[in-house]
Amino acid sequence: MYSKEEIFKAISTVIDPEVGFNLVDLGLIYDAKCNENGDIEVVMTLSTKACPLHQMILQWVEEAVLRELKDVKSVKINLVWEPQWNISMASDDVKSKLGAI
Amino acid sequence: MISISRDFAPPFKLIAPYFVIGVLFYLISSLFMFSLDISEMMSYFEFKIVGLVHLYLLGFVMMIIFGAMAQLIPVVLERGHFSVDFYYIIYPILSVGTLLMAFGFLYSNIVLSFGGIFVLIAMSIFAFETLLTIKGIEKFNTTIVSVLISNIFLWIGVIVGFIMALTFAGMITSNVVLLLKAHIYLVVGGYIFITIIAFSYVLLPMFGLAHGFSKRPLDFSIMSQSIGVVCVFFSSLIESNLIAKIGYLLSLISIFSYFYLVYLINKKRARKQNDMYIISLLISFVSFVLAVIFGVLYVASFEEKFAILSGWFLFVGFFGFMIFGHLYKIVPFLVWYEKFSPFVGKKKVPMLADMVPNRSANLQIFFTSCGLFVESIAIFYKIEFLHTLGVICLCVGAFIMFYNLMFMINYN
Repeated sequence: MYSKEEIFKAISTVIDPEVGFNLVDLGLIYDAKCNENGDIEVVMTLSTKACPLHQMILQWVEEAVLRELKDVKSVKINLVWEPQWNISMASDDVKSKLGAI
Repeated sequence: MISISRDFAPPFKLIAPYFVIGVLFYLISSLFMFSLDISEMMSYFEFKIVGLVHLYLLGFVMMIIFGAMAQLIPVVLERGHFSVDFYYIIYPILSVGTLLMAFGFLYSNIVLSFGGIFVLIAMSIFAFETLLTIKGIEKFNTTIVSVLISNIFLWIGVIVGFIMALTFAGMITSNVVLLLKAHIYLVVGGYIFITIIAFSYVLLPMFGLAHGFSKRPLDFSIMSQSIGVVCVFFSSLIESNLIAKIGYLLSLISIFSYFYLVYLINKKRARKQNDMYIISLLISFVSFVLAVIFGVLYVASFEEKFAILSGWFLFVGFFGFMIFGHLYKIVPFLVWYEKFSPFVGKKKVPMLADMVPNRSANLQIFFTSCGLFVESIAIFYKIEFLHTLGVICLCVGAFIMFYNLMFMINYN
């Protein structure tokens, strides 16, 4: 129903307020798929387990998908810690702006 | 999945007083330095100096640490406070206790003991709330163990301090010189330093986006510092110089391990921009190196000015700038969380970096750094004029810090 790219585009509206980049460009969204009924599953991680915005970021992702993709019935977020996030997963633009490259 | 729910986060109205009062105490401590001449600055047994140190460490350093802990304990322990409401009574009791103790050191030993009671109560509530929060945790890691150990050291250290206060008031008899060593080591080395090590391991990588560094220096640093504190504490009780020296050596090893940990984190830091946080930490670490160098010089020469300079760089440089850096990170986050997070996705919200008044923050860091280094030269060469200049710089920095804090709190 919705492609991975469309779901990623919806999630890219969520900005991490600390670093100022969206979650997709940061490389925090590992995968996303949508079945025929409009149920979406997002596989994602966070930059640290100690993130104090942990719960809120998951909520923002869910809200962004529901807001941007009108025919979605439900959103399930699968938060994983493997593979562990690192800066190599971020886009070149993010790396460049952070000074990592 | 480990989650930090919104319920774990204490309300900002609870934490804000700690930061506001803490920075006010910093300002008062800076202004208080005008009343000291350079000769008074040169003796750590001078009661005016001891009063100032307590005003600074209890009113500013501990107050800010306690406020930060209200927020950070759930982050580190990954569970909510046993009862966060206790934090509503800690800061008023600690404030009164600090003022009474400072007054007591200056004018009345009896008042000192009353101040000691207030401080003991405030610290006991804090330590036991933390211990009760830890109770029930099944899986311990180094950071959680550090929180546990440091709180035990804090509590014992404050009790030792209280015994000293009663001795000064003439109510009991004890060997104050020996207890002083145990008191300083338990509170500064056992609580403040171990807390800094443990939280550096969590916060430095979090803010710097660092991953894939070894945790071994952390374990080593915490372990050697903990044993070192125990050694120095027992050396005070049994009057053993050898055990004390073993303790100092272990602390030195701990400090080197800590620096190595910071180096590893910095090496893996993906976020290379040097914001107020990084600049403050840089000055903080440089100060810490200087504090260690002067500390070693003191042990080698027993020249009192080296001890004063070591304490100066440790308290004002290392602790002070460590706190400033974290205030520029934690306060915007808490304000943002309270005021703006409900509007994410609904309207434009600021980024955390937007909430820091960069220009005046730079000014604050500049004036405080000038104060720190000018005063250190004044102490080294005993120059009265430089002492006055240093204190003026520190006071200007303190006023700007207070302005910056209020700017961040009132950001709309």
